[in-house]
Amino acid sequence: MMNVEIKEVPATQNAVILRFSGELNSESIGEICSSFEKLESEEKKFAIADMTGVSLISSAALGEFMGARKRFVEKGGDLVFAKMKMDIRTKLNLMGATKIFRVFSDIRSALNAYKWQVERNPEVLHLKFPSYLEVVPPLRQLISRIAKLKGYSNKDSFRIETIVDEVCNNAVEHGKQGVDQKIDLKMSIDPQKIELDVVNMSDPEKMDSLKALLKPRNGAQGETSDSKRGRGLALIKMLTDELTVDCSEKGTSVHIKKVREE
Amino acid sequence: MNLNFPYNVELRFPGDLEYIPAIRKFVSELLQVSGFSQKFAYRSEIIVDEICNNAVSYGCTGENPEIELICSLFSDRIEFTIKDQGGDKINVEKLHAALKTADLNKVEEINRGLGLEIVRMLSESLDVAIDKNNLTSVHVVRKREDI
Amino acid sequence: MESQIDLVYEDIRGKVNAKLIRFIGDLDATNVETVLEKVCSLFNEGIRDLVADFKKLRYVNSTGLGILLHFSKSAKEKGGSFKIANINENVYEIIEIIGATSLLEIYDELDEAIAALE
Repeated sequence: MMNVEIKEVPATQNAVILRFSGELNSESIGEICSSFEKLESEEKKFAIADMTGVSLISSAALGEFMGARKRFVEKGGDLVFAKMKMDIRTKLNLMGATKIFRVFSDIRSALNAYKWQVERNPEVLHLKFPSYLEVVPPLRQLISRIAKLKGYSNKDSFRIETIVDEVCNNAVEHGKQGVDQKIDLKMSIDPQKIELDVVNMSDPEKMDSLKALLKPRNGAQGETSDSKRGRGLALIKMLTDELTVDCSEKGTSVHIKKVREE
Repeated sequence: MNLNFPYNVELRFPGDLEYIPAIRKFVSELLQVSGFSQKFAYRSEIIVDEICNNAVSYGCTGENPEIELICSLFSDRIEFTIKDQGGDKINVEKLHAALKTADLNKVEEINRGLGLEIVRMLSESLDVAIDKNNLTSVHVVRKREDI
Repeated sequence: MESQIDLVYEDIRGKVNAKLIRFIGDLDATNVETVLEKVCSLFNEGIRDLVADFKKLRYVNSTGLGILLHFSKSAKEKGGSFKIANINENVYEIIEIIGATSLLEIYDELDEAIAALE
C-alpha cells in the first residue's frame, strides 16, 4: 500500500515536496500519476520526491516517475529524489535510473539544487585575507574549484581563476601592505554569471602608478616598468564582460562580471 | 616568504556540503604556502572537513544558511573558529554530548560523534559556545609539531 | 556536486565471489552515498569478498571511515571479508586515531590481501 503527501515549500513558488511511503508498485501507479498531474496543473516546476518511507519501487512505478520527470524538465524544472533507503537506491542503480535522476541525501540539498536551477539564486562566497601575495594562489584555486563544482566548464573556470589571480595580485601590489591590511573579496555565482568585488585599502604612495595602470595602453608606447601589472589589467579587461575600478585615497574597489561562455 | 604571523583569513560560504571539499583544500594549500608541513596541512584539512560537515549538517537552519570559518595562523599553531546558525541551547548540548567518546559499534550510523572525536584527537583543544549573535561557535587549536 | 572519486573494478583470479576495487581520489561526505551504493550493488550481485586498493586514495574523513566499517560488517554478515591494502600514511593515521585499525583488515601490500582470501 502506498501513501503520498504533497507539501508546499514555503518561500518558493515552483517547488513542492512529495512525501511517498509504502510500496510504489503497479497498484499505486494511479495515485502516483494523479499526484504528478495535480502538480503539473498547478504549474509546479520542481518536485522533490521524499523517499524516506518507501520500501519498494517497481519498474512500472519508476516508469511513471520518468515520464513525470520528462515533463518537468521540458518546463525548465526537474523531478529529483531525496532521502532514499540504500536498498531502493541500489535497485534504482541496477535499473540505470541513477544516471537519469539526481538523488540527494537530504531535502535541503535538493532545495538548494532547485534554487540554483530554477530560481537562479546566486550563491555568495566572502573572503577577507591579508595583503600577502602568497595567499593568492590558494585563493584563486578555491574560486576555480567552486566554479567547477557549480557546473562551469574547465575553460570558464580557468578564465575565472586568471581573473581572480590578476585582480588580487593588483590589490596586493598596489594596496597598502601588511598583516593589518585586509583585502575583501566577494564572489557571487549563479548559473549564468560570476560577479567579483574586490576591495582593498589604497597605498597613497602607489596612487600615481595605479592611476597610470588604469589609463588606456597605446601599444608599445604604453609599455612601462609597470608593464607586468598593466598587462594583467589588460588581460582582465579581455576576459571579463564588465570591469569597473573605483580608485581613491581611501580605497580601491574593483567590480567584475563574467558571463558563462560554455 | 613575506608572510608575517599571526594573520587571519575569514571565509563565509553557503551552508551546503558540496562547498566543503573546496574549502578544506584551500585551508590545506594556505597552510603549505605559509610554511607548515604537508602532514600538518593534511591533518588540518581533516579538522576543517569534520567541523564544517558538522556545522552544515546540524547547524544550518533557516532559508539561506551560511557558515563562517576563521583561520588564524600563528607561527606555532593554527586556530579554527567556525560559526553556524544552530545557536540554540539544545543544539549546543547535543554537540557537547557528541564530544564524548564515540561508540565505534554504532559508527555505521555515521553520527556526529565520530567526526568530532577525530577533531579532538587531532587538536590541542576543542571548545563549543553560543556567541553574542546567537551563533554556535566551535573553536579548535592545533599546534605545530615540526618546530 | 560531489568530490571526485573513481572506483575501478577488477576480477580476482581464481576467486569467483571476490572483487578488487581500486579507490582513486578523496572519500568524503559528498560522495559516500554514491560509493556506498556501488559497493552494496556488488554484495547484491553475490560478491562476498572485497579487496580495496587504497594506493590512490588520498583522503578519507569520518563519513568515509563510517562506510568502510559498514562494508566490513556487511561482508562478514555474508560470510566474506573486506580487506584493505596500500593505505597511505595520512589515511592510516586517521583510521588509527579513531581506533578502527582493529575493526578493519588492513594489509601493507595488495598481494598479501589477495593471498589472504580463503
